[in-house]
Amino acid sequence: MGISEFVLSILAPILELIGPFMPGNTFPAYFEMELFQRALIAAIIVTIIGGFLGGFLIMRNLALMGDGLAHVSFGGIAVGVALSSTAPLWYGLVFCIIASILIHEMQARELLTGDAAIGIFLTGTLALGLVVLRLWGGGITTDIEGFLYGNINLIDSDKLDLIVIVAIFALSSLYLLHGGLLATTLDPVAARLQGIPVRFIGLWFSVMTAAVVVAMVNVVGVLLVTSLLVTPAATGQLIGRSFKGCILWTQFFGLSSVLLGIYYSAELGTGGGATIALVSALMFPIVLTGRTVYTRFIRSPILNID
Amino acid sequence: MKGHLSHDGEIVIKASDLSVSRGSTIVLDDINLTIRQGDFVGLVGPNGSGKTTLLMAILGLLNPTSGSVEIFGQDSKRMKHNGRVAWVSQAASNLPKNIRITVRELISLGVLTSKTMFPFFKNRKNIREQVENALELVGLKDVADVDIYSLSGGQRQRAVIGRALVSNAEILVFDEPLVGVDRDSRNSLLKLLDDLCHTQNKTLLMVSHDLAAIRQSAHRVIYLDLIQLNDCCRGGIQYDGPPSEFPDLLSLATLRGIRNVHEPEHIIISLKEGNSEPKVEEE
Repeated sequence: MGISEFVLSILAPILELIGPFMPGNTFPAYFEMELFQRALIAAIIVTIIGGFLGGFLIMRNLALMGDGLAHVSFGGIAVGVALSSTAPLWYGLVFCIIASILIHEMQARELLTGDAAIGIFLTGTLALGLVVLRLWGGGITTDIEGFLYGNINLIDSDKLDLIVIVAIFALSSLYLLHGGLLATTLDPVAARLQGIPVRFIGLWFSVMTAAVVVAMVNVVGVLLVTSLLVTPAATGQLIGRSFKGCILWTQFFGLSSVLLGIYYSAELGTGGGATIALVSALMFPIVLTGRTVYTRFIRSPILNID
Repeated sequence: MKGHLSHDGEIVIKASDLSVSRGSTIVLDDINLTIRQGDFVGLVGPNGSGKTTLLMAILGLLNPTSGSVEIFGQDSKRMKHNGRVAWVSQAASNLPKNIRITVRELISLGVLTSKTMFPFFKNRKNIREQVENALELVGLKDVADVDIYSLSGGQRQRAVIGRALVSNAEILVFDEPLVGVDRDSRNSLLKLLDDLCHTQNKTLLMVSHDLAAIRQSAHRVIYLDLIQLNDCCRGGIQYDGPPSEFPDLLSLATLRGIRNVHEPEHIIISLKEGNSEPKVEEE
């Protein structure tokens, strides 16, 4: 399709420019070699959209929606592999979007609460994927493991195409709908009376989440999607005092997790997805401790943040 | 019921023969209701008497079994909501807990409509002015950039009211705005509502269990209750009139005790006779 090549041709010179200033032995390769440049760009793009979406997911009490949809996408990927498709991710995308619409409808009709609906789809499609793999797909191969734990060094231009398309779709939708989405999240009745299409926005948000999750599966893998989707947003909410502030902090924590994660994975030879997730998860307790120390001992012992 | 109105404005809400059922219970039976501009209507009644159901039916968020509701002369089911009606929920209990948002951000959400929802249609300067006005009106200018969870319950409630005011809605619908609000905040809130009604000619519809508040501020009280008729339960308006003639709490208890009467009007009449001098609880 070529979108990814276009993006790469713009960003590669910039990366090559800052590459020599990067620390470490292996890490600068991410700025210099095309294969690794692709990985770095994919990880950064995915983190940025994940950060924007994560805040809304937390506000809507759907923090585990991403995790659920990632498992659903694994079912789709497995079916794709079993059908010996060259691009199993697109199967994952279709599965994910259908599941997200069904989950949203079940919640909107109050058939099930959010968590229960997610749980059913999570286990159902994961099980389907495992059964299909055993029957026709030749079991868990290294390819499949890549989808489970993520392998950023395996991101080819097809995968980057998917990520870039999803990013354009998600960022433009979020730009257009963020006001309506926030109003809907805060008070659906009031939003509806204001003339905001509450149902449509809810559905659109679900589809968007599904697409973003599939894009993330490439980078951090099915099992670790939440680490880029929800963790930076949760860390950002510890510090941010306003909606805008939270978004900025979320981006800061998300991007620093990705860069540090990739750095350590390159230097220590650990898996990219797992290291990013670990750094991202560690940031939460560190920031929490820092905040506690700051409010207790430095700012004022009387003022309480909550 | 025109005789009870404090003044004669334009009719803004008109319910005709409205009935709503839930299961086998007829929660609202044959409601006929006219609300005029500038009215402050208090909606009272025990739990399960259909107060919220009536609000939802009026706002067109609920399908009535029969009858219709017109808002500004339009069928409320088919009405395009464009900010002429605003809803104020119980802020303290209804806002999601895990959200970081400042008062200013919350209030500026009230400006959004189906037309101005998208960022490039916004007239930013205009919106900023509107938001500042609303902040001034609800008296939260000092805490405009503070996270709403750092505020007191009363302030938070004011913030939610500010969100409803910023859109210049003509009808404001409040669902129990006084729950969990302390006496001082309550009184200043009531004063704010009174001002809105008198100086800006807004129409207010408020559900509350705080009878004293309703007596103090509302021009008109509507009492809803379920009445056992033969063997089926029917709900509807049992009293509609000025607060000064509204029977006191003790009589209401009696009213609930003698539900097995065939004509609801009889109760009201008998209550009115028994309470020629209703006790008004003034703060």
